[in-house]
Amino acid sequence: MSFHLELRNVSKSVFHRVNETKIRTLLFSDLNLKIGRGELVTIMGASGSGKTTLLRLINRLSDPDSGTILLNSIDICSMPPQELRKKAGMVFQLPVMFQGSVRENIAFGMELWGESMDINALAKDAGVPEKLLDADTGRLSVGEKQRVCIARALSTQPELLLLDEPTSSLDSISAQKIETMLLGLQRDHDLTMVWVTHEKEQAGRIGGRRLILKDGKLEEHAED
Amino acid sequence: MQRIEILAIALTFALIILSSAYARRFGIGREISLAGTRAVVQVLILASVILVLFRLPLYWSFVVLLVMVTIAGHTTYSRSGKLENGRVIATFSIASASFLLLIPFFLSGIFPFEARYLVPTGSIFIGNAMNISSLAIDRYRGEIKNRRAEIEACLALGASPKRAVAPSFKQGILSALIPSIDNMKNLGMVWIPGVMTGMILSGGDPVEAASIQIAIFISIFAAGMIASSLMLHYSTNSFFTQACQLKEDID
Repeated sequence: MSFHLELRNVSKSVFHRVNETKIRTLLFSDLNLKIGRGELVTIMGASGSGKTTLLRLINRLSDPDSGTILLNSIDICSMPPQELRKKAGMVFQLPVMFQGSVRENIAFGMELWGESMDINALAKDAGVPEKLLDADTGRLSVGEKQRVCIARALSTQPELLLLDEPTSSLDSISAQKIETMLLGLQRDHDLTMVWVTHEKEQAGRIGGRRLILKDGKLEEHAED
Repeated sequence: MQRIEILAIALTFALIILSSAYARRFGIGREISLAGTRAVVQVLILASVILVLFRLPLYWSFVVLLVMVTIAGHTTYSRSGKLENGRVIATFSIASASFLLLIPFFLSGIFPFEARYLVPTGSIFIGNAMNISSLAIDRYRGEIKNRRAEIEACLALGASPKRAVAPSFKQGILSALIPSIDNMKNLGMVWIPGVMTGMILSGGDPVEAASIQIAIFISIFAAGMIASSLMLHYSTNSFFTQACQLKEDID
């Protein structure tokens, strides 16, 4: 059986500089994960456990020390990085806005790939009010910025969406609104979604398959 | 040595001594006295070299300009944080821009094709191209480092490294050119630039001096803009891996 995303024996270390010395920390070793098309997977773990790094490896913003990552059964290292990133959209923990208006931010991915999509529809899907489309991104709240980031990530029409604690900087009401919106998108677009969170309660609300990254190992999280 | 030369050098040393004595309270007295002395010695050596060059075949002038370009390339390379291939890129950028801007002066007949004109004009272009490129690469590196999150967000959408660093590129070039733009705005109002001053002091016609000065001044700006653009353009890939990942250790 072929999976949409597969990690085989993936290991990764990171280096920290303490004074002039580089110190190596092993984040995870021989990690294995299989995710089916359209599946929703939440990955929990404490700060520094390697959750963000795991998503960065899938998007190829970093490379593993060893192991293989397959998307649609193809080793991602054999794909052009840009093509991979178009397929595997990523939403970061802190929303990063590009200079310009909300509309220009959402259109960014489309322009990169020469695609034409309805910006208003994308904005609506991500819960960005139409009246904000021509506003400068500097005027937005953190929650609004994160919605723009989600719309921007969707503008490349990804088949896999990697979410790195997208609600961690929001209050609980805004966070739950974004959760609901993202779950709706996952259903409507049949998106494969890997959602990283450090909140057990949020993982419970999101549902899907729950995994926990602990001591460098990825384990199925038992239902409470 | 004539009386006027002795007086000029004596005045220079007197000012170096006074400046370094004053600067001691900021802890840079020694640095100023060393830099000042070094400048005097270097310029006197250069004057002797130029004097010899006047009597040598013209290709020796190009040799001297190539030596200047190599030193300028090394200086800009040091500012780049010792970037991969930085020395070659810096030397190529400064050389291309400087020699390109030299050509019209000699083709149009503004200056005769002689060492007396080639070396000083070339050195002005090389020196300024070096300064502007050094400022540009230093700022570019800083911008890339500070905008890591923005650059990675851009890469994550499938953008090429060149597209992802476009705002940093723009800022790098802009910051490096601001002093030249300000100088250009105030040219003739706040200060009289070097070539014009030199020509007037040596008894030249002020209108002729101004015409040549403005042509040189705009060429300096153009050489700086071309050199810094080439420098940043060709150094962009050095900040990224083969897989279009922003390198971790940009310091």
